Parts: sequence; C-alpha cells; structure tokens
Amino acid sequence: MSKPAAEHLRPPDRRWTRLFVARPAAVLVLAACLWAGHARAQEIYDPIEPVNRAIFAFNQVVDGLILDPAQQIYGYVVPEPAKRGVRNFLSNLAAPIIFVNDLLQGERERAGVTLGRFMINTTLGLGGIFDFASIVGMEPGHDEDFGQTLAVYGVSSGPFIMLPILGPSGLRDVTGTVVDAFVFNPWPYYVDDEVTLGVRIVDGVDTRYRIDPVLDDLEANSLDLYAAIRSGYLQRREADIRNGASPAGSSAYEDIFDQDFDDEQPLPSDAAPVDAGG
Amino acid sequence: MNNRFPPMQHRSMRAAEMRLGRRRLLARIGAVALLVSAPGLFGRSEALGAAAADPETFVTEVGDQVLTILDDASLDDAGKIAHLKTLLDEYADLDLLAKLILGRHWRTATADQRDAYVDAFRQLVMTTMADRLHQYGGQTFEVVGSQTINDRDSIVKSKIVQPSGAPPIAVDWRLRKSDTGYAIIDVIAEGVSLVVSQRSEVNDIVAKQGMDGLIRTMRDRVSKRDAIELPTDKAG
Repeated sequence: MSKPAAEHLRPPDRRWTRLFVARPAAVLVLAACLWAGHARAQEIYDPIEPVNRAIFAFNQVVDGLILDPAQQIYGYVVPEPAKRGVRNFLSNLAAPIIFVNDLLQGERERAGVTLGRFMINTTLGLGGIFDFASIVGMEPGHDEDFGQTLAVYGVSSGPFIMLPILGPSGLRDVTGTVVDAFVFNPWPYYVDDEVTLGVRIVDGVDTRYRIDPVLDDLEANSLDLYAAIRSGYLQRREADIRNGASPAGSSAYEDIFDQDFDDEQPLPSDAAPVDAGG
Repeated sequence: MNNRFPPMQHRSMRAAEMRLGRRRLLARIGAVALLVSAPGLFGRSEALGAAAADPETFVTEVGDQVLTILDDASLDDAGKIAHLKTLLDEYADLDLLAKLILGRHWRTATADQRDAYVDAFRQLVMTTMADRLHQYGGQTFEVVGSQTINDRDSIVKSKIVQPSGAPPIAVDWRLRKSDTGYAIIDVIAEGVSLVVSQRSEVNDIVAKQGMDGLIRTMRDRVSKRDAIELPTDKAG
C-alpha cells in the first residue's frame, strides 16, 4: 500500500536482473553470434556430450521421482475440458512474446494473427481459458521464440546442451530463452511472484503430461534414448524455424538421399577400421 | 529481495511445451506412420507400385490397404501383426532404408557386417511395428498434395486425422521411383524424419561401439522386446 504506483510496475528486483541476467544474456547472444557463420545443422554438434549425458541421467532420475508421478496424477485427476483450458491459458500467456518475435522476424501477417488471437481470447475467451479465436474461425496460433528469431537472422543452433530438469536445448536456444523470459515477457511486471511460480509449476506438469506418449514411445523403440531425444529436439527446432515446412530441399536432408550405394564395394573383412574399438 | 523463481524456467517450459506439444502426437503418428509406412515403405511391390500411376495414388493405396487391416474387427492383434508382416514381406525391400540410415558407415562395413546389419534392421522394423500397433486409435489419413524433388524422388504430403477432433498431424512421405514402381524411403512426421532420427542414433552407436556393437545392440533390442511383448510369436 505504501508503495508508489510507479514502483509497482517495475520488476521487483531490477538490480538483480541487470547483474545476473542482462549481462550473461549479452554474453550468450555474442557467443551465439559466433556460431552464425557455421554451416547449419549438417551434423549434430555436441561437444560436451559426456556432461550432457550425465545431466540426462540425472534428469531421468528426477523425472521418475517427481515429474512422472505428478503428470500421472494430473492426467488422472483433471478432467479433459479443464486440461484444454489450462493449455489455452498457458498458450495465451505466451502471446506477447510470440508477437514480439513475429515482428522481429518481419512476419507481419503472423504478428497480426498472434495479436488478434490474444485480444479475442483474453477478453471473450475469459483470460485465455477458452480459445474463442479458433471457435470463430481465426487462424490457429503458432509458436515463436527468440531462439527462432536468432535462427532467422542466421545464427546456427550451436552446441547442443542438456539442461537440468528442463531438458534438451542448445546455445542459441538457451540464449533465446533468457531473452524471452527477461526482456520480452511482460507478466513478471504485473503479477506477484507466487502467482508466477504457481503458473510455472502447472506449466511444467502440463508439459510433461503432453510429451508423455512421445517419451514412452522413444523409450520403448530407440536404440539410444539420449541420441533419439537430441535428434528429435533438433529436427523439431528446425521445423519450427521453417514455420512447419518440410525439410525436403534443405541440403542437410537431401545429402542423405544423394548417396549412391550401388558403387560401394564392402571392405575386405580383415580391414575394418571402424570396428577396431569393438 | 523477493524470492523469485527464475523466469527462464517458465519460458523454457513454455518453449518446450510448444515444441514438444505438437510432438506429443508423434508417438501415435509413429504408430500410424510406421504401420502405414512399413508395408509400403520400401516398396518393391510389383503389383502395387506398378499399378500406381503417380506418387499420390501410390500413398493413398498403400494407406488404404493398411487401414483396412487395422480396422478389421475380425482380426485380433496377433492376426493384424501377422497380416502386416505378410504385407511387409510381400512388398518390402528394406535394403535401401537400412543403407540410408547407416549412411557413410555402409562404405566401411564388411560384406558380413552389411548382411548382419540389414538382417537386424529388418527384424527391428518388424518388432517396432508390432509394438506400435497398440498405439493405433482410429486415425485416418488423407493425401493433401505432392512435390517433385528431383527426377527420382518426390514428397507426398498427408494429414493424419484424429478421431478425437484434435488438430491433424502433418506426415510427409518421400518416394523413390524405380523400374518396379514407387517405394517409400522416408516418413516425416511434423518435421521429424524417420531416416534422420535413426541415422543419428545409429551414428552415435557406431562411433562408440563400432559396426559389430551396433549389430549387437539391434539384436539385443529385438530379442528383449520379443521376449516381453510377443510371447506368442516366440511360441509360434
């Protein structure tokens, strides 16, 4: 009550933000830009793979103890319409960030869709719980983030990074995540920390619930779960960057199908260097 | 001063959700794609391939055949798997797919390793197909267009329609034309390619364990899953 109104609109801990976020973010952006010249996504670039695999193993344990039970309870207890409402609400919260990134990518039409959907769903959709925009026939929503914006500017994905708890990412996308969260995300300016924290927890559980079938399938059918998740993540990112278009025609993808196997004689069995390691 | 939870986590969760959210259905597409693809996948099907006048017709026909089996109420799971395996045996030439996935390592493999790898791959495809049968839940699909890549390859775009009314899933089929007709050589579900994904896994294993290690890993996987999931198969 004693706070002046203007102070209320400021993030509560600006100094902290500047010191621990803005500066590392700048460093990350710079570092990400260094990768801009690299060939994009030809081969998977995972220079800290042993570390990533260790973090992945840790994540698997945390998942088994906390996330998986939580998502199972969520899936069982919350009725389907309420789950849809949660998803709609969370998607609507992300609209301002998507809007800014639409604009930064020069996608004016998509920015218009994002803005229109946000205005309709926030009002007629009761704060975003109902996707009223889709009901009245507006174009479905889409995702954008600053990692994708950097990609549009020519920044390659950089080294693959497995984040604790949060899962697969990369240097460019971690950078994008930090910028989205601390620069473009308006909500911390308006709501209490407790609310933000609550939303985040729901978001995390809902996310885990939604990817559960994929994880199950990968676990059952992949030869190497880490490699499968890494490849799936990187391909999804590339698809998002292309705004959903097929990889067909991209050189990395087409090279695979250019290989001509007919001319390739097998090595004599006493000269197989690949198997030296055994 | 306030005990703030780093917002990064929130945003990251969101990003992951948006990213993976669409992938959520991938598991089920995996099912449909693999099932739909497996029989036609690799076509050598004189009858089917030669009969199809163009890539879109080919994919439509393959899909219809598979869906007919999947929707056949008179068949139990084992019966469906048997039928699909028969289709696969009858029409499939898994060699090219196996080679595409192995990529550059094909060049450095011995003749024995090549044979063992293709054989293990073939068994793994069968096992995976059987495993994914249970994920099929009444989806249908429609061909929505096609695109010519070069003089031998083309892409057919389709939509997997969900019975629940959830948004349809985009699945692209890459076809290669040969003397015997068309053959599907890749399936791309929501931007994620079967060949690219498998290559990535296979590459990793060959780099660490060599070609023989890869073949061992594939065989282990097949025998483990057959033992757990398909006791009837073993018995028969």
